[in-house]
Amino acid sequence: MAAAEARVRRPFRPPLGRWLLIGAALLFLLLFLLLPLLVVFAQALGKGLGVYLAAIGDPNALAAVKLTLTVAAVAVPSNLVFGVAAAWAIAKFEFRGKSALITLIDLPFAVSPVIAGLIFILMFGAHGWFGGFLRAHHIRVVFALPGIVLATVFVTFPFVARELIPVMQAQGKDDEETALSLGATGWQTFFRVTLPNIRWGLLYGVLLCNARAMGEFGAVSVVSGHVRGLTNTMPLHVEILYNEYNYTAAFAVASLLALLALLTLAGKSFLEWRQPELRHTAVAGRDRTRRDNIQ
Amino acid sequence: MSIALRGISKQFGEYAAVRDIDLDVPTGALIALVGPSGCGKTTLLRIIAGLEAPDRGQVLFDDRDATLAPIRERNVGFVFQHYALFRHMTVFENVAFGLKVKPRRERPAAAQIRAKAQSLLDLVQLGWAGDRYPAQLSGGQKQRVALARALAVDPAVLLLDEPFGALDSQVRHELRRWLRRLHDELHFTSVFVTHDQQEAIEVADGIVVLNQGRIEQRGIPSEVYDLPASAFVHRFLGQANELPVQVRGGRAFVGPIDMASADDVRIGGADSIALVRPHEIEIGSEAGGWPAVVTAVRVIGPIVRLELSAEGRSASEPLEAEISRERYEAGRFNIGQKVGLRLRRWQVYSARGAAA
Repeated sequence: MAAAEARVRRPFRPPLGRWLLIGAALLFLLLFLLLPLLVVFAQALGKGLGVYLAAIGDPNALAAVKLTLTVAAVAVPSNLVFGVAAAWAIAKFEFRGKSALITLIDLPFAVSPVIAGLIFILMFGAHGWFGGFLRAHHIRVVFALPGIVLATVFVTFPFVARELIPVMQAQGKDDEETALSLGATGWQTFFRVTLPNIRWGLLYGVLLCNARAMGEFGAVSVVSGHVRGLTNTMPLHVEILYNEYNYTAAFAVASLLALLALLTLAGKSFLEWRQPELRHTAVAGRDRTRRDNIQ
Repeated sequence: MSIALRGISKQFGEYAAVRDIDLDVPTGALIALVGPSGCGKTTLLRIIAGLEAPDRGQVLFDDRDATLAPIRERNVGFVFQHYALFRHMTVFENVAFGLKVKPRRERPAAAQIRAKAQSLLDLVQLGWAGDRYPAQLSGGQKQRVALARALAVDPAVLLLDEPFGALDSQVRHELRRWLRRLHDELHFTSVFVTHDQQEAIEVADGIVVLNQGRIEQRGIPSEVYDLPASAFVHRFLGQANELPVQVRGGRAFVGPIDMASADDVRIGGADSIALVRPHEIEIGSEAGGWPAVVTAVRVIGPIVRLELSAEGRSASEPLEAEISRERYEAGRFNIGQKVGLRLRRWQVYSARGAAA
């Protein structure tokens, strides 16, 4: 199929202006995205594979990886559910206070992550509003996993909702109303019609949310307490190693973070490639003429 | 299933979309709701469907109160202007959707679902397109899929919101005739909304003309077209020349034409207007008619549309007349030609809108 398409495609010579634009974009990408990424891996592997593996195999590094994955595993699904619910409410219903809700969703973007972290210290810290209550019940929030999760959820709050609201508004209510008129229940309508319609926006929102959840530094730094092997996430661990002049180890852990990011992007591309109807949409015209030729 | 609306009103904020509407749609009828945009026709259709709840009034299905019944229990099929096909499903899966979401004890066996969906696709002449995706179909084909999908659950009522509004005129014409045939074969009750008065006249058994949330007139198409109840309906259902009626010495005139001799004219007050459709103007020799000059000619297939500057009227308000191609060629009505006009038919309304 790929060979057939290559044959169909005509040789194409873009004019000078287009070459310049493409060249500028590629140069920018090379300088600001690809080169730093390569530096990370070059530094990480600079002293050989053995040192690299040892740095990653360090118990504190492994603990940081585990903590980061745990935090993402809680924060991303929470924001997935919240984001879909909020986007649904905003896109499909009219109600009082809608614009206030939209503004509130954006709040985490507007507030500095450090402030976000401090908010949780003020609320759940030893001298915070709920500090006494929490201590009495032997619950640790700040400087422990719950605090890190809370800060991460707060910071990554808008990603899914922000991604979905325009998609859902553009799609309107026709599909859902049709499904209901055909006898589908609310849940059937959601899972069989709404969710498939928004899945690319949703996937993209979840990927962004996940990337930020794993990479968040500021807010988490405030509530974490930096206890090695216990409350250090990967970004915090990278910073500590770097401050100790342990560059190779710092870059080794950083390369892991970069790898996770690359993996999520690869996963997205793979899913897109797997979707039959997306390919159908893209090649619909060509596909039809080809079939007609066969007949 | 018959539909009855009793005193239906619906507000959106300050805006009254429909006001105190009573309407009966007998079983098996095909009714068109027509009116300009914003007249409330779509809101009324959505209230019948259960997609919108009325603020006041009742919706009766076969004399049973269905005002608060959710849409999925109403047994209505709803077709949108923009098809609303599920784009991630094949054409076949779209048509089968309504059968597949039935609760298990009502759901037909998989083989039966297949057979039914296939027979519906055959009915809409898209039997070959089952494994295509909506994006691969043309607009007319998509709307046929949407109809097949709505029919899959055997609705007693089919509601269509501007079903052919997004299609080009050739396809629209074909689909209109096809909808009419389908309706006659399958015996459901249909209500469709359109802003295209010609579509309504061509397809429907009955027309309901809406204006500003109220019913202006209802009746069979020819009756509504020939005897409009108001100047609004007259203007909405086709082109009309608007002529002021002057009363001189106890007799009424349109231009120099003495109308008092016409038997069906009841002359209103001094503010009356006469509405005359372009094909109701007869063009003849100068002698004895209303003197006029041909200012523009446009040949449109079998008919010819003329613009005429009539004596006593400003040139910026030309009269529009339609005559047959044969009449045009026999009469040689070229631009600048002096002619005499006669009015074959007219309707007089008081300028406030009601029939005089």
